Amino acid sequence: MAWPIDSAALALVAIRTVHFSATALTAGVLLFRAVIGAAATMSSPVSAQAADAQTHQLAGWGLLVSVLSGAVWFVLTAADMGNLAVSRALHADVLTTVAEATQFGSVAVTRLVLALLLGASLAFDGIKPLRWLTLALALGLMASIAWTGHGGSGFGVEGDVRVAADALHLIAASAWIGGLVPLALLLSAGLHDNSSASITVARVATQRVSLLGIASVGTLVATGSINAWFLVGSSRALFGTEYGRVLLAKLALFAVMLSFAAFNRTILTPRLLAPATAGSQPAAVRTLTRHCVVEFALGLIILGVVGWLGTVHPASHFMN
Amino acid sequence: MSRFILFATTTMLVVAAPTASFAHAFLDRAEPRVGNTVATAPRELKLWFTQRLEQAFSTVEVTNGSGQRVDTGKPRVNDNEMAISLRVRGPGTYRVNWHVLSVDTHTTEGNFTFTVGK
Repeated sequence: MAWPIDSAALALVAIRTVHFSATALTAGVLLFRAVIGAAATMSSPVSAQAADAQTHQLAGWGLLVSVLSGAVWFVLTAADMGNLAVSRALHADVLTTVAEATQFGSVAVTRLVLALLLGASLAFDGIKPLRWLTLALALGLMASIAWTGHGGSGFGVEGDVRVAADALHLIAASAWIGGLVPLALLLSAGLHDNSSASITVARVATQRVSLLGIASVGTLVATGSINAWFLVGSSRALFGTEYGRVLLAKLALFAVMLSFAAFNRTILTPRLLAPATAGSQPAAVRTLTRHCVVEFALGLIILGVVGWLGTVHPASHFMN
Repeated sequence: MSRFILFATTTMLVVAAPTASFAHAFLDRAEPRVGNTVATAPRELKLWFTQRLEQAFSTVEVTNGSGQRVDTGKPRVNDNEMAISLRVRGPGTYRVNWHVLSVDTHTTEGNFTFTVGK
């Protein structure tokens, strides 16, 4: 992609960003509920009910945006593949060819099926044993993005490693970025309530988020390193190609997010868990809530960068 | 929060600045080899690429010195390999023009020549 970016390429980057963000939110919200929300709100039925309703709404809207943006992404990619105008790409013969005869198309169809099953599962969200299926479908929807990108284009053992690393990277990203929204809502609800029950909910949630955060960051660093090995390959490519420099921007944003997370873990969480002193715990919860919002904003920008990265030829292709 | 958004936006604008253009080298190898001379007319052209290809959107044409096509049938794609049958008659220089779509939806194209007999 050259500068200035043409409108077709920009549209593709934009719709990929929307799709990744919506899918990450859906998966992250449901993962948060499973590993954090349920345990945190166990002591407060009121909080649990409110959190449940919020999860259902967020996941439902996230899924709707994911499906709609996925459809637009499919059409724009079909147009790009065949070097066609979007109006031509909307014809049945083009869409059918892409759906039946390309990996991107067959993965898109599979993901649509996953999304529809997830929608059905969410419709019966009141049946608690079904919630593990709901979570599995959401994580599958997020992880399967790996087969649409650079990770899914390799072959042999290398190809398997790349796509597995990509899939885990996507799940870890959704756990972190998507989980920030329900955490912020949970903490915010506690601030309005300001009861000891709310502080307990905030404490348990923050402790568990801390552990999930460590697992997510560790996975992101490990799988990101694998991806960089294959797609960048050298420091010369990292600094000398468009792909490499966009990746550097992603890493810079990741470092900023990480610094917020580290501050939350080392400064705010201990304040929240310490014996109550006047005003210290609500203050810590307020700051944590603000940081969640900032981290989420940074996370969305990172997903925009990811949307851009997928449209650019990997750096390793240019550096032989 | 506005400072961080400014930082992120600035970072993205810096890395989006124009880059030098590099030669795309996605064709890994070919048979007959790129720029090579072969003693006898090949019956088939084979191309190997660095990524898996999509058959529906990948094409190759082979033309003789007069610009006439000497490839026959549709290209056959198997993972990262593309092959097409040839009906090459007589010595001369032949041009290969390829246009491929990889499974990660990137298109690339290129060309090269090979010579028969001289």
